[in-house]
Amino acid sequence: MARTISSIMIANRGEIALRIIRACNELGIKSIAVYSDEDTRSLHVKRANEAYYIGPSSAAESYLNTRKIIETATMAGADAIHPGYGFLSENEDFADTCEKTGINFIGPSSKVMALTGDKMKCKALMKKARIPVIPGSDGNIEDVEEAEKNASEFGYPVLLKSAFGGGGRGIRLAKDSNQLREEFEIAAAESRAAFGKAALYVEKYLEGTRHIEFQLIRDSSGNTRHLFERECSIQRRHQKLIELSPSPVVTANVRERIGEIAVRAAETVGYENAGTAEFLRDKDGNFYFIEINSRLQVEHPVTEVVTGLDLVKLQISMAQDYEIPFQQRDLKMHGCAIECRVNAEDPFYDFAPSVGEVGQCTLPYGPGIRVDSYLYPGCSISGYYDSLIAKLISWGQTPNEARLRMKNALREFSVDGINTTIPLYETVMNHDGFIKGELSTDYIDRFHILDIMRADYREMCKRKASSATVATLLQSEFIKRTGGGGLQSSSKKDRRPSTWKNLGWISGGV
Amino acid sequence: MEFRLAETQEEFEGQVIRTFPNGEIIVEINGKEQQVRLVKLATDEIEFLFENSFHRAKVVRSNSSETVMLLDGHTFTMKKHFKFEKFLYKTLSSATSAAENNNLTSQIPGRVVNILVNPGNGVKAGDSVIILESMKMQVSIKAHKDGIVRDIKVRKGTTVARNDVVAIIG
Repeated sequence: MARTISSIMIANRGEIALRIIRACNELGIKSIAVYSDEDTRSLHVKRANEAYYIGPSSAAESYLNTRKIIETATMAGADAIHPGYGFLSENEDFADTCEKTGINFIGPSSKVMALTGDKMKCKALMKKARIPVIPGSDGNIEDVEEAEKNASEFGYPVLLKSAFGGGGRGIRLAKDSNQLREEFEIAAAESRAAFGKAALYVEKYLEGTRHIEFQLIRDSSGNTRHLFERECSIQRRHQKLIELSPSPVVTANVRERIGEIAVRAAETVGYENAGTAEFLRDKDGNFYFIEINSRLQVEHPVTEVVTGLDLVKLQISMAQDYEIPFQQRDLKMHGCAIECRVNAEDPFYDFAPSVGEVGQCTLPYGPGIRVDSYLYPGCSISGYYDSLIAKLISWGQTPNEARLRMKNALREFSVDGINTTIPLYETVMNHDGFIKGELSTDYIDRFHILDIMRADYREMCKRKASSATVATLLQSEFIKRTGGGGLQSSSKKDRRPSTWKNLGWISGGV
Repeated sequence: MEFRLAETQEEFEGQVIRTFPNGEIIVEINGKEQQVRLVKLATDEIEFLFENSFHRAKVVRSNSSETVMLLDGHTFTMKKHFKFEKFLYKTLSSATSAAENNNLTSQIPGRVVNILVNPGNGVKAGDSVIILESMKMQVSIKAHKDGIVRDIKVRKGTTVARNDVVAIIG
């Protein structure tokens, strides 16, 4: 009855493709990568056992091209497809096509995905199963007028969400009806661009909330376990930036109680494989179910680090109909983990995307440090795909040890040629509110973290100002002495490091 | 030479006093002589020890008026001969700024997914003019001032680079 997997096509790119390749290697499973024009030199292409070209750089023509991916999987003889996160990972039509083609889709069935993907239907089911949910519109909203009517019923501020969204895309906040009208257009456009449909719904925005989610696994025999919580409250524009496990506000009792609710949620929808039940926790400690994400989450490493489990290998095992080999009571949380999502964005310039070729880069090492990244010196960061370039994960016996290790790792992490969100994380790791665990989804705004980051940067500049002067002096002297050939003409060709001696500066003083 | 660090607006006066074959250099910064040990000097990369700590500078771009570098991973913009430049700026700025002021530029690279105004429309500073998509994010380019849209320089689907002029608002 077991559906044996001996080869897996990874329908994704970047760090998650590398993560899955590693799991395949450990299991002795052949890994099959796919790539677009833009990714010819990407690390996943180099690391997989086989790599197949699937089309132009635009995601719609490559990583979202169901027909091409299925064709390629069939041609390559892949037993299974791992979709990673994003792209086709929560696309029920894709899962359905896999099923019909006889390819084992590593994730829930198309039927389950259709249910968890339709947030309104899912919410209604949860309500019936007496799982607490947030007040909101009953069903999708067709036009702005209806949205306004709903919003005025339970009061502003409200969130405007795409019913097919995920990972924070298509979610917008409106503080009044004017803003609602403005945001509705943009949200509808985003939803159409990403999912082909503009189905939106309105929900009451709870203030001072924390985002806490439970990792779930459920095998095909119906065994369900939760792998404890992750707190993902540190966000910007509803995109997670930093994730922790455990959450500083979840006690053993709460963990058990909400964990049971999460398990019940998985059973309510007949969930399969690995997934996540997301909750919001309000100031008073009430938890509200938001949704089940039917994919491997970006932040899965923090759970792996504190439980010692390998979620990708578990996924592959469950996809082969093996039963989960442990009981809930066997699971223990060990220490604390923090993850920072290093994005190619400029935190000093409204998080503007930063693309281009990476020069030298140094990834951090050391006790309790894990880096999931596709960076290498000379790689390029494309504007066609998302901005996540690395996930930096630290582990410590205590929250403070994890934090201090993260601080070290951030300092060691350097990438030439592009801007990253590292300065923001350095500020957060030093911030009193973070140290005390005073988190909420508006943490960045509430504590004016961006202003603190700017001040930190100015301080650092002051400290290094005389070093910068020295560097500029040396550089000017170099230009002067080498005939002022300029940098543009020679910098690419002349990669050979010159030393003081072979520059002919030996003659002594100036 | 005179320098001004753009990030802090601090001013420095510095020069190389003496260089030795073993890589040792004596520099003078704000009247104080200090020792530097040069480790590596290439066209776009400098490594040195200064005040007993190691530094690496990667030159991003450099010309006679400024050097932009990554020093130990952080961006520093060093203006050179700034007093002279300040004088030049004062005399030249009034002539060029009026026309440049009308240019609405994109601060990020991306693909144009929507244009929200037409030539002839009035806009207020902060109004969304163009929506770009980059790295899966939709980012709006907002009017930099009140005025009338004189021209749109891009079309839907166009790819724009950082600092490209996308519209003229006059």
